[in-house]
Amino acid sequence: MSQTLAKKHIGVLGGGPWGIALATAAARAGAQVSMHTRREPPHHAGVHVTTDYAEIARASLVVVAVPSTVVREVLRALGDHLDGHHLVVHGIRGLSPDGLETVSDIVRKETPVRRCGALGGPVQAYELLRGRPSAMVVGSRFPEVTAAVTEAFHSPSLKIYSTPDIRGLEWASALVGCVAIGVGYAQQAGAGPGLLAALISTAVDESAKLLAMAGADERTMLGLGGYGDLLASIGLADRPEVIIGKALAQGRSLEDAVTDAHLRVEAITVIPRIVGFAKQHRVKAPTFDILAEILAGARPEALIPRLFA
Amino acid sequence: MSKAPIFGFNEHREEIVREVVNRVVAGTKDSLLVLNDAAYHETKRLETARRPHDVKEREEWRTLARSLGRMGDGERRRRLTELTERYAWDVAGNFNPRVYSLSKRLLPPLVTSLLQPTMFLRKPQELLNLDVLKAHVSIEGPIAKIQKLVQDGTAVFVPTHLSNFDSIVFGYALEAAGLPPATYGAGKNLFSNPVLSFFMHNLGAYRVDRRLRHNLYKDILKTYSCVLLERGYHSLFFPGGTRSRSGGIERRLKLGLVGSAVEAYARTLIAGKERRVYFIPATINYLITLEAETLIADYLSEAGKGRFIIEDDESTQLDRLFTFTRKLFDMRGAVVIRFGEPIDPFGNRVDDEGMSHDSRGRAVDPASYVKNRDGEVTLDATRDAQYTRELGEAICAGYESDTVAMSTHVVAAACFHRLREIAPAQDLFTVLRQRDVLTVPRDELARDVSAMREKMKEMEQRGQIRLGEHLRAASGGDIVERAARSFAGYHTARAIESRPNGIAIVDPNLLFYYQNRLAAHGLGWDTLAPPGMLPAVPVQLRSVGSPSTTSSGAAAAEGKTP
Repeated sequence: MSQTLAKKHIGVLGGGPWGIALATAAARAGAQVSMHTRREPPHHAGVHVTTDYAEIARASLVVVAVPSTVVREVLRALGDHLDGHHLVVHGIRGLSPDGLETVSDIVRKETPVRRCGALGGPVQAYELLRGRPSAMVVGSRFPEVTAAVTEAFHSPSLKIYSTPDIRGLEWASALVGCVAIGVGYAQQAGAGPGLLAALISTAVDESAKLLAMAGADERTMLGLGGYGDLLASIGLADRPEVIIGKALAQGRSLEDAVTDAHLRVEAITVIPRIVGFAKQHRVKAPTFDILAEILAGARPEALIPRLFA
Repeated sequence: MSKAPIFGFNEHREEIVREVVNRVVAGTKDSLLVLNDAAYHETKRLETARRPHDVKEREEWRTLARSLGRMGDGERRRRLTELTERYAWDVAGNFNPRVYSLSKRLLPPLVTSLLQPTMFLRKPQELLNLDVLKAHVSIEGPIAKIQKLVQDGTAVFVPTHLSNFDSIVFGYALEAAGLPPATYGAGKNLFSNPVLSFFMHNLGAYRVDRRLRHNLYKDILKTYSCVLLERGYHSLFFPGGTRSRSGGIERRLKLGLVGSAVEAYARTLIAGKERRVYFIPATINYLITLEAETLIADYLSEAGKGRFIIEDDESTQLDRLFTFTRKLFDMRGAVVIRFGEPIDPFGNRVDDEGMSHDSRGRAVDPASYVKNRDGEVTLDATRDAQYTRELGEAICAGYESDTVAMSTHVVAAACFHRLREIAPAQDLFTVLRQRDVLTVPRDELARDVSAMREKMKEMEQRGQIRLGEHLRAASGGDIVERAARSFAGYHTARAIESRPNGIAIVDPNLLFYYQNRLAAHGLGWDTLAPPGMLPAVPVQLRSVGSPSTTSSGAAAAEGKTP
């Protein structure tokens, strides 16, 4: 490895746990990192904190890690400082409420940037923070973006995989977030390994069909950014989606469950929209139907067996 | 207006061919692979050839293929250069300014005579009257802006493609709109006619031999196109590749030649002589299409994979052309060329001054898209292929919003909708078998049509489609009448027929063809969405007052095949 080569400047948008984790991982891999956040910035070695978008725009690779609810405004503001040479990637697990746009669609709409990418895969924030070995996926049709992300994040403890199917990766990440709630719910409800495996496989199958309808490659759902990401949720008791699922299975309200999770969970707004999308395109997605019922307050014991009816 | 570079083409032709040869040869990393590929495809193409010339060529390729392995690299390079030179000279066209100024005077009467052959015989003096042509081919769009942009930039015209008539009509449209001539790749078969060949050859067309499938030839074509664009030659591509078989607008493009524009632009930057490239989508819209019957039969036999049996024979082409042009001449506004909003190679809108703007209206420097992270302009084929893909999407979006709908399309869509309601099953081929089984009362069809037209007016307000002049103003009944008249005189099979009890739906295939023009808009039945693309969401069309169909209409939409 050419550890001695000076790594390039990267900008990170968002000072939440995920933004901090990404900034830390990049700094550890040797990049010069500027992070844009309006929160009280905790000090992190090698990360320069700013509230000025122009400073972020001085980096040629910008990583967006803000909640999906504000991503449009943030990109619009940042877009004033960007031009066609910037590379923009995002690590947001979500689809827009109006029309299920992916975040990269929003990047193209709100900024002059064309060369964009998405981050996904099973890697967890704490793994990035502590430098624990893990794997991340970058999706982009532009090899330059894949190369830039690899250069910025690749380290002995973080392996970067890539796919040209950016749309597939974005959809897979969003759907995995939804299904992870179901995983938590089933675990809490006492589902054994066999039932859990059946639940996951059924959900992956439905998700793959949904990806195809969304104009992506269904195989992306079967890879690290889909199946792989979902498998990680089994062992992750502290994954926010899993926490919410468990809380719901205990009979707690959605509001309480969200409070338990401490983090914003994009899946809560995505699930009902996926149900609508499936209906519109005549794709059978019973797992998502049931997830929507659970979120709407239904708690019948018989929900899980119904999946296999 | 400054002279377009094409006027100096002949002086530079040799230089251009040299440049193409040098670039192709220098860009070839593995000459063994390239020569092998060419020999393989050529031997395969000539496998069953009988003509002595072809047989000789085949044997030459075979000999080459056999000896490639033993050749040294120097020898291979020499053979590669020879081949490239031969192809490049074959592709290169000619531009004769005298022929151009002659044809400028000849073209309008030529097109007129095509549109109305009998006029040649009856009133030759009328041929020089441009007004006759103006009445039949209307030209719309931001023409003043395009005229301004071509002064300093290179225009790439990318129209929709329905008919062999297109290149003639579009060539006329450029001339009539005060735009400079554009060079374009024309099928080599068109050059076999000596008269046509003389004009094409001298008007800057280059020869594309569609029979050649190997990579070396494709590379030469792309490089040729790139060199011309770099030098500021305005170009014309039909990015659909071939005529639309279904009658629908193009929703996925063949981007090979289109893609040479990004490289051409980057090369002008590297050379320190930035020359901007502007893409100008355009739609060519016909009330009736010359080849409609052949094309739709072709489309259905391919789409149906044998389920479809072609029932009608075509009459002779000359006969058809004659009837077609007479028919077209009967109808005002039967051909509309609509230029769309110019965009840069990265899909950004371009203003009057040639500045690019992103989708939020911010000015953006197009050069930034071909710069790497260090701010240097680079050539990168993979990157450019992605830009071109996205550009293709922007061009297709332009096709959709600049489609000029005419009475034939709307009436066909309305009839086809009725047909789906009575068909026993909802798959396309069952619907297409409903020949002459349904007659719709005139006033009901008129009501359907005017309901659809009202919806289309709303869509036009939102910039989603355009309405032809007649369609915008006429009553539902008149629109049906005009469509019936348009179908009647030309197509051998009558699409619809006026009978005492109403309008009989006679030939579903033709109606399918014409309704397909509105499929992408959700106004027709969308069975055409290319793989990986969702069909258009159907626009709710039925007017509130039509009793017989509201419920069954919804049922028909429900049963739609995905």
